[in-house]
Amino acid sequence: MESSVTAERNGTEVTGCPVMHHDFSKTRELGAYWELANELRESCPHFYNKYEDGGYWVFTRHDAVKDIYKTPEIFSSESITPWEPDPIYRFVPTQVDAPDHIKYRRILNPWFSPKAMEAAAPMMREICRGFIEPIVPKGSCDFIEEFALRFPTAAFLTVIGVPISYTDLFTGWVDAFFGGFGGDPEGAEGMARALGEMREFWTEQLAGRRGGPVVEGDLFSYLLNSTFDDKPLDEEVLLDMCTVLTLAGLDTTRAELAYMFHHLALHPEHRQALIADPEIIPLAVEETLRYYTIIFGDGRKVTRDTEFHGVQLKKGDMVYGLVSGANRDPRHWEQADEFVIDRKKNNHFGFASGPHRCLGMHLARREMAIAVDEWLKVIPDFELDTDAQLMERGGGAMMALSTLPLRWGVKA
Amino acid sequence: MKLCVTTACQGHGRCYTLAPQLLSSDDEGYVTIRGGDPIDVPDDMQDLAREVEGTCPESAISLID
Repeated sequence: MESSVTAERNGTEVTGCPVMHHDFSKTRELGAYWELANELRESCPHFYNKYEDGGYWVFTRHDAVKDIYKTPEIFSSESITPWEPDPIYRFVPTQVDAPDHIKYRRILNPWFSPKAMEAAAPMMREICRGFIEPIVPKGSCDFIEEFALRFPTAAFLTVIGVPISYTDLFTGWVDAFFGGFGGDPEGAEGMARALGEMREFWTEQLAGRRGGPVVEGDLFSYLLNSTFDDKPLDEEVLLDMCTVLTLAGLDTTRAELAYMFHHLALHPEHRQALIADPEIIPLAVEETLRYYTIIFGDGRKVTRDTEFHGVQLKKGDMVYGLVSGANRDPRHWEQADEFVIDRKKNNHFGFASGPHRCLGMHLARREMAIAVDEWLKVIPDFELDTDAQLMERGGGAMMALSTLPLRWGVKA
Repeated sequence: MKLCVTTACQGHGRCYTLAPQLLSSDDEGYVTIRGGDPIDVPDDMQDLAREVEGTCPESAISLID
């Protein structure tokens, strides 16, 4: 892996830093990306990851990842994928920097606030029960196909005011997009097609609402009536917003739910703990987000020449904060490599940190807590229904299991 | 003991979820005392306040003895 300590970077020599050639887009065995993050973190605090046409700096430890997040004026969100410094999409507000970023966030924050999610919780719980009920008598299921893909999608669509009947259409787009997002060239075409079809869908949805009033529970009518610097949001920005909300809102919760239920399938003592004391479910959700974080790393673009944690960075360089390394860094965490189900001091980066922290975090954690609570009420005991090695999507696009077969006893 | 939250708060919500007896959120999800005056921590909630301090990913929370 480690080839030499010097290499060419944009014609300049990189010195005093290991150079590696990792591909983070490949599908690997479940858990392989967290093991890799542990290895990288313990072998060096930073290295240069070189690919055919370029490369980027990887910072592997908690202190540096935290400093990247805390210094957005140096680490721009213009690109968040270091292997693609100039992506074909633009997420708003994800890829917008100060001073405009916060103006967009202030429009969106109230819609996804804890209070708004509290209000939506009874509806989410009802949707959740609706998906679990028909599964219970079967005694087995593919957790992802039959639950984790569907429940968060249906809950999200309901929260933004789109009919649940569009669920399958959305899951198809999201799968195709993430097939290319992580840097796998074979997925590039599908990613571009999914982006185009989503934009068409949103264009139609917005056109049907333009000129109308804010309708309660309908995010699009709310966005169409929102202002940025006293002017309505322009069409391109609206479409960019809708796109990122969809992509970020659907795929991520599916992935976290699957890792959480995989853990619970293997740990009856943790299922028992959650059944005995449902109050600790939110803590278990946070620990899932730390220990089984789906963010392998988070990319940023350097805005000016600077020295950072012993590395001389140049304007335009890409950096990658290894969130999976930080979330299990023993320099920061007690019992770093253990799943502590009721961990309280849990300042993990599973939702990122700094001004770009995940907008949908309050929705995601509520969906996860509701899913665990409702599932354990009717299926308190379950286990893996396969001896085959489970595989996970590459960390470049955020890790996700593709299948999770579960089984349980059914009362006659 | 007093507890204060700086404007580094990004609204992760872990503090007021862990200690609803001490803290609450505004309409955007920020803690209500973000960038404001410190609040008093009752004697029987000092351990809880230390957990709250340790749960903030932005290190926005500080305790003053």
